[in-house]
Amino acid sequence: MIAIWSVASITFKEGIKNRVLFGIFIIALLLFAATTVVTTLFMRDIVKVAVDLSLSTVSFSGLLTLLFVGVNLFGKDLDKRTIYMVISRPISRSEYLIGKFFGIVMLALTVVVFLGILSALPVIISKKFYYYSEARFNWWIFFIAVIYIFVKLAIVSSIITLFASFTSNSFIALVLSLVTYIIGQSTESVRLLLASQVEKMEVSPVVSYMVDAAYYIFPNFSAFDLKTQAAHGLAISPSYILWTGLYAVFYITVAVAIGTLAFRRREFP
Amino acid sequence: MRSLVISILVISLAAVGSVFALNIVSLERERLRREEGIGIVMPSAVARIVALEFKGIFADIIFSRAMTYYGGKLIREEELTGEEWDWIYKNMDLATDLDNYFLDPYYFGAVNLSWGANKVKEANALLEKALKYRDWDWTIPFNLGFNHFYFLQDNKKAASYLIEASKRPGSGNLIPTLGARLEYEGNRTENAVIFLEENLKTTDDETIRYIYEERLKALKSILFLERAVTAYQSRFNKRPKKLEDLIARGIISEIPKDPYGGQFYIDEGGSIKTTSGLFHK
Repeated sequence: MIAIWSVASITFKEGIKNRVLFGIFIIALLLFAATTVVTTLFMRDIVKVAVDLSLSTVSFSGLLTLLFVGVNLFGKDLDKRTIYMVISRPISRSEYLIGKFFGIVMLALTVVVFLGILSALPVIISKKFYYYSEARFNWWIFFIAVIYIFVKLAIVSSIITLFASFTSNSFIALVLSLVTYIIGQSTESVRLLLASQVEKMEVSPVVSYMVDAAYYIFPNFSAFDLKTQAAHGLAISPSYILWTGLYAVFYITVAVAIGTLAFRRREFP
Repeated sequence: MRSLVISILVISLAAVGSVFALNIVSLERERLRREEGIGIVMPSAVARIVALEFKGIFADIIFSRAMTYYGGKLIREEELTGEEWDWIYKNMDLATDLDNYFLDPYYFGAVNLSWGANKVKEANALLEKALKYRDWDWTIPFNLGFNHFYFLQDNKKAASYLIEASKRPGSGNLIPTLGARLEYEGNRTENAVIFLEENLKTTDDETIRYIYEERLKALKSILFLERAVTAYQSRFNKRPKKLEDLIARGIISEIPKDPYGGQFYIDEGGSIKTTSGLFHK
């Protein structure tokens, strides 16, 4: 446990020092500032537009952090050969990989906490500016959506851990993680599309099996996207939170466990 | 020193050149956009997939693009063709497919399609979708009720929508009364006035307020003339042939102006009409 913690804290410290983070924060701040301007172009659902934009900014910045900082944190040890220093210490390879995973999860947590609090600002400003009486907005649901952005980023971290465990190059890990993210965001919609249009178009059984397989293999990121609920103050049931939470925990466990298996067998050049 | 001067000269010349060229580019772009007109609208099933987790923003962009197009036409004082109205409807439909609860496209579509394009069917289709999702919002069934009463002249349906509206929170106590009044066919103009006044209360958009206020002015004039005709009938036991009769007999002092630029007259059935047909010529 101590070994995992020390790897995690080193990884986190290394990540937080990365200059790319400044760039990402500046982009996020600019997007928050733009939100307050953009919302004035709309008619009534101004708070909804502000919530859309600010929560998407949090999610997007977190994703950029993981893909551009997180992936490199794995690659660095291999590229700079510092991995030999680590594996010669009394720490197992699994502990090293799990530590790395927790390190980038902490990085994602920092980004989400920092930007999540800032993201309330454009919403407060737009609410002051105009609040339509039939609009529904609830701060609790807003912050649940922010927490879910973190949960989603934790799953992305586990995917990065998995790919980084066996790829020889951090660019390949980045591309694979990005592709997984895109597929994970769309499997639910594709599945719905096939289910709703079965009568209108011929779908070969092979395609629908493939889509079903992809639905179970890739993480279903749509389940963690509560932006619409936050924007319109739609209630989220406790059972939804329970089951999506369990799903996230199981998925992360599987991904990281497969990663450690692959990493244990890996040979370093 | 010399190279510095040359560099500064090159930079300033190029900067001026780029600003100049960009001005012409924006004119060219303007022309291109006008020729380009409207594009195709992505099917919503595809849009839901490619939007990834940014469906909300996608909906915002689609809505504001259509609104900007409409606004540009309005500023250039050009009429929208039927094809363009269809495009606007499809965009509003797509935006509300991406975010089922997004009020602006429902509202913009419903008001402009019914008042501007006389596409009441499409306006109502949008509102029906809104009725399903925004199940707390009384303004949706209220607007549906108005469209059924005013454009489709289906009082029964209008009344049932108003009853639905009155069940939702915040609707106030005027709506059930209005719903009950609609059960009777008479008092059409008066009901329309009450309806529009209620519409005005919940509207702060300037353009839409203008539409309502103008129509309200015309309807109030019609109501005024209708009452004068009734007074004439009860006093002289016959119908006036033309509006000037009302002035000649001293029932009214002048005929109000039609805000749409037409002339009020009495048709063969005895009801008040206007040559503008309540639309701007």
